Amino acid sequence: MPVKSAQSSYRDRTHEFLNVAEGLKKSLNSTSNGHSSSSKPEGLRSAASIQSEFNKRASKIGYGIHQTSQKLAKLTKLAKRTSVFDDPTVEIQELTAVIKQDITALNSAVVDLQLVCNSRNESGNISVDTTSHSTTVVDDLKNRLMSATKEFKEVLTMRTENLKVHENRRQLFSSTASRESTNPFVRQRPLASKPGASASTTTPPPWGNGSTSSSPLFPRKSMDGDTQPLLQQQHQQQHQQMVPLQDSYMQSRAEALQNVESTIHELSNIFTQLATMVSQQGELAIRIDENMDDTLGNVEGAQGQLLKYLNNISSNRWLMVKIFFVLVVFLMIFLFFVA
Amino acid sequence: MKITALLVLKCNPDGSDPIILANASDVSSFGYFQRTGIREFIVFVGRTVAKRTSPGQRQSVQHEEYKVHSYNRNGLCALGFMDDHYPVRSSFSLLNQVLDEYQKSFGESWRTVQADVTQPWPYLTGALTKFQDPAEADKLMKIQRELDETKIILHKTIDSVLARGEKLDSLVEKSSDLSAASQMFYKQAKKSNQCCTML
Repeated sequence: MPVKSAQSSYRDRTHEFLNVAEGLKKSLNSTSNGHSSSSKPEGLRSAASIQSEFNKRASKIGYGIHQTSQKLAKLTKLAKRTSVFDDPTVEIQELTAVIKQDITALNSAVVDLQLVCNSRNESGNISVDTTSHSTTVVDDLKNRLMSATKEFKEVLTMRTENLKVHENRRQLFSSTASRESTNPFVRQRPLASKPGASASTTTPPPWGNGSTSSSPLFPRKSMDGDTQPLLQQQHQQQHQQMVPLQDSYMQSRAEALQNVESTIHELSNIFTQLATMVSQQGELAIRIDENMDDTLGNVEGAQGQLLKYLNNISSNRWLMVKIFFVLVVFLMIFLFFVA
Repeated sequence: MKITALLVLKCNPDGSDPIILANASDVSSFGYFQRTGIREFIVFVGRTVAKRTSPGQRQSVQHEEYKVHSYNRNGLCALGFMDDHYPVRSSFSLLNQVLDEYQKSFGESWRTVQADVTQPWPYLTGALTKFQDPAEADKLMKIQRELDETKIILHKTIDSVLARGEKLDSLVEKSSDLSAASQMFYKQAKKSNQCCTML
């Protein structure tokens, strides 16, 4: 079992190893003894083989989790170290895809393992220790997988934040025509707000000097310059303040539509989860029903028995028979001793 | 979130003052003596903003504590005087609706108007009262609001389903205990019903 020896450092698997060794020894012994008591060693062997099968799978899953956490550590390092210029986007994306695949595969493997464990617990012939051991192993694997998934999520959030920070820095230093227009604070300059011919399609933030970190979080999609006017106006006599709209009308509509769409997606998720939970609970209800039917049958049978008992006790037939026998016995003794 | 006034104007491409086609304003929040002044102010500001809105353009101008949103569509311009909290998108969709309604009811006759129209247009006054709530004007906002409410309800539903699951679990345990106990009861009854123990 070379796979088992390459385990993560802190888990002590000598117990499982001993079990496997015992199982193998038993199977060797049974084959050498011939087929005398065939059922018993087969039963033992199957139990031992199931145990070793369980251990093999568990060890494989543990190894897989270990490897995934190593890859995750590498991904964290990559995500942390990004600078503005040489961004290893391709590697990060590849690594992310690989890790995601690994995590899903490990998830399904852990679920399989749990099924095996449960099915083995149903069949008899096992001790309490083995069941508790296998359940503990399965729970431990699940916990480790969950922590690995959480770390993965954190790394992804960190990566998106880094990307945002880079976007800000890029905004700060470069001012390409497609991205930014003139400084909105220069109110008195008459900007030609010609329809459809506006150079800047996304509008800059109205407050703050330049672009601070909060404003680039607004959607900066570039739209076709169809009817996307920059909204500025100057009016020197009228003491009016100009507030350029931070998003043009179409952008805000698009954003609202996307929000609606994502809300609907979340709703559909919630509905599926709800349906799953209700169907699972339906099984529980069926079990309860069966239990109650069994109870009813038992109680009715018991009631019948008690009724019969009552009849037997309340009738005098047995009593007369017993008195008759006692009288006969006394007569016999009397006759034997007197005569 | 209040709309103070809605106007429809005809904008001339030559840059002269726009002509008012319909006017509905709600000045009840001001004192009695200020009302006429406010109305004239609305008319004046509306004319100025509409003059500077070129066809096919939407604008929002901030004046003291009001925002004036204007939308110019082929020379027909609709304005709305709203406060700062009214969402911008809803105001523009409201202006869209007003323009559609105006074109539906008046056709193209507005192009020939040369002087300010002083008769009130009942649709506009109705719209002013109806659309004080921005969700009415903007279907998207209404949908979003309803979806959020539905989501809250679903969250509560899922919580109650989880509680139901727990109760079902306890019921399963109790019913299995009950069936075991009844089985013991049956066995005992059968055992005590055996004959030949009554000796």
